[in-house]
Amino acid sequence: MKALVIDDSRVMRKIVSSALAPLGFEVVEASDGKEALDILASGVEVDLCCIDWNMPVMTGYEFVVEVRKNSYWRDITLMMVTTEGQHSQIVKALAAGAHEYLIKPFTPDAVKSKLQLLGLFVEEV
Amino acid sequence: MTVSLVEPSLDEAVFDDTVFFIAQEVFSAMIDPSDGALSLGSGSPVFSDVTFAWVDMLSTPRRRVMLSTERVTAFSVARALLAAGPDDNVSEADFEDAVGEIANVVGGNVKALVSDPGPLTIPKVSSVPPLDGVLLRQMHLLWHDRSLLISFWSYDESSGC
Repeated sequence: MKALVIDDSRVMRKIVSSALAPLGFEVVEASDGKEALDILASGVEVDLCCIDWNMPVMTGYEFVVEVRKNSYWRDITLMMVTTEGQHSQIVKALAAGAHEYLIKPFTPDAVKSKLQLLGLFVEEV
Repeated sequence: MTVSLVEPSLDEAVFDDTVFFIAQEVFSAMIDPSDGALSLGSGSPVFSDVTFAWVDMLSTPRRRVMLSTERVTAFSVARALLAAGPDDNVSEADFEDAVGEIANVVGGNVKALVSDPGPLTIPKVSSVPPLDGVLLRQMHLLWHDRSLLISFWSYDESSGC
């Protein structure tokens, strides 16, 4: 599994990546939505995008809208990872095509739970 | 984390309880999971070498959530957030990124409690405070006996704060 972590904060990218790595994800990072789109357009194939909302250049919401315009990327799971906890924002992101929504702060267990819900991680018994 | 999406007023008790809850969540999830690491302080702390980190809500009027603390404390918080070991160097860029992200997470969660907050800005970090607005509420927190102040401000866009 490969994940694209999109956040303008290098610290937050590191934290999200650290939560994903033990779950078996190879991680690619981007610092805004535009850079993330460029990575996808270059042919890098990912299973999951973890997307911050507020970023310079291109927001996470704009990134979700752009990804959903391209049918080639329809199988990518999009999870917002953001401080934007307003109900209206959550609804807006999900309506645009995001699959899940994780509000910062979060624990590694919360990331794992979301990925289990999305079917991207199965805990071995 | 779970934060009630109820708004609306700046009822002081509700605001204080909620902000303290948010701060505890931020610290326990991202910085220091030890029990009781964060507690309420009394009075207003006096800082000498201060780091300010804030995010603004582009509402009318503007609102601001700001974290203030001694620079040495901010560095300790940043090191904890980065999981930096004793020998690890933390660059100024990483320091500002880490402290700004804490303000961003606190501010973003406070935003969920406010009516018509507008978009949230990218966090700013400085040793110089932004120009004065109207202080609405502030909360003095203690992290291992070191003071942090979370404050909530209102200002007019035209004031240039």
